[in-house]
Amino acid sequence: MAHILKNYDEELSALKEGVVEMGAMALASVEKAIKGLTDGDRDLCYDVIDEDEKIDQREKGIDEQGMSILLRFNPVASDLRNVLSSINICRSLERIGDHAVNIAKRARKILKAGGLEEVRLIDPVYLEARKIVTTALKAYSEVDEAIALSVIEMDRKVDDLHKALGKSLSNKIAGGAEKTESLLNVIFISRSIERIGDLAVNIAEDIVFMTSAEDIRHQ
Amino acid sequence: MNDSSVTLDSADAPALASNEPIISIDDLSFSYDLGKTNTLRNISLDIPAGKVTAFIGPSGCGKSTLLRCLNRMNDLVDTAEVTNGKISILGQDINAPDVEAIELRKHIGMVFQKYNPFPKSIYENVAYGLRVQGIKNKSVLDQAVEESLQKSALWSEVKDRLNTSALGLSGGQQQRLCIARTIAVKPQIVLMDEPCSALDPIATARIEELIAELQQDFTIVIVTHNMQQATRVSDRTAFFYLGELIEYDDTSNIFGKPKIKQTEDYVSGRFG
Repeated sequence: MAHILKNYDEELSALKEGVVEMGAMALASVEKAIKGLTDGDRDLCYDVIDEDEKIDQREKGIDEQGMSILLRFNPVASDLRNVLSSINICRSLERIGDHAVNIAKRARKILKAGGLEEVRLIDPVYLEARKIVTTALKAYSEVDEAIALSVIEMDRKVDDLHKALGKSLSNKIAGGAEKTESLLNVIFISRSIERIGDLAVNIAEDIVFMTSAEDIRHQ
Repeated sequence: MNDSSVTLDSADAPALASNEPIISIDDLSFSYDLGKTNTLRNISLDIPAGKVTAFIGPSGCGKSTLLRCLNRMNDLVDTAEVTNGKISILGQDINAPDVEAIELRKHIGMVFQKYNPFPKSIYENVAYGLRVQGIKNKSVLDQAVEESLQKSALWSEVKDRLNTSALGLSGGQQQRLCIARTIAVKPQIVLMDEPCSALDPIATARIEELIAELQQDFTIVIVTHNMQQATRVSDRTAFFYLGELIEYDDTSNIFGKPKIKQTEDYVSGRFG
């Protein structure tokens, strides 16, 4: 049922659209950083670093929208949870953007050092993390708790892939492999991707709170 | 009130732990037209002692009618009658034939939407109920007046002009005076029917602060259209619609995670 105040509905819709758009921006940023790494394209890496400012500004804009709704409409019940969760989600998305920058910076270093065959190992971890961020954003967009809960399960696979990659490259380093610094950078990139998965879980937890008022964090 | 009223007397009333019901409403239906139509239908709820309970709902939902049933104010309407169920206060059926409305109201005070001090001095307004009860001792009256004005957070503002007209006070002060007048006779329950609707935001804030203070000594039931106020002042909230109780729960649940969609729609402004 629509609110009596039409502009209340309009502002809630605008907030949602803003978060969904910010999600697309953060996801595109991660994708560009990974592409920069795997294609050996340093310009893409520079783009990610430059464009992070846009994500930061979008975060501030969503905060302002959320604050305005709280101030003007005094939301309660599911509306209040919607606004609080949206603000929390945009915080997670901003951090995903930061991880994209971390990935881009380390990719730049790897490329500057002449590249590394092992960067291909990042792909499975990245693809799995991408899948869960996309799923979390779909859950938010469709206000679907079941989809949000599936994200939490999916994150275990990202964790396992990251651990396996870390172990494999650590063994290489221990075995005296060359390009130790670049190998370490790949491990750190994998760690950033694993953190992106964790942030997708945070988003999913916010969606569960938004839909059912259940706080499932730290369980 | 005869012997059956003894349970309503503060001195004899059993001590109630907080959260225990002081008011029990059981399957109550009420009509303003001798039972042709029921304005309230099958209402059941327990109101805990020492807490603030808010009644909310759109105009015409029956919340004020129910409030006025609690001290039998509806007796003033010739065609009004309880058509089903009962209201018990401290275990006493308040509509039992041997319970007198005037006696009942000594235990259940009421504060109205529009402040209504008597055209008398501040002192006489507060002392009025006690004088009606036959108390004449000046020192007892002085003490009761000071104590009531202290509790209603008005003493410091009026202590030097107790004998001036109550009508010279501001609106917010007049409402606090009415609260002082109500609590001077030491009721166990204070009913408030939109007590802030005629007040500015500062006077409203003072009354809300006062409600929190009074909660330590009285059980308060408040009807309010201001839902933010209900969230601030009450522990429990009952939502009514078209004469029925839709949902009754802790205030944090009613405004945070209501169980019934109708409640959610109303509190979030989707009714229309």
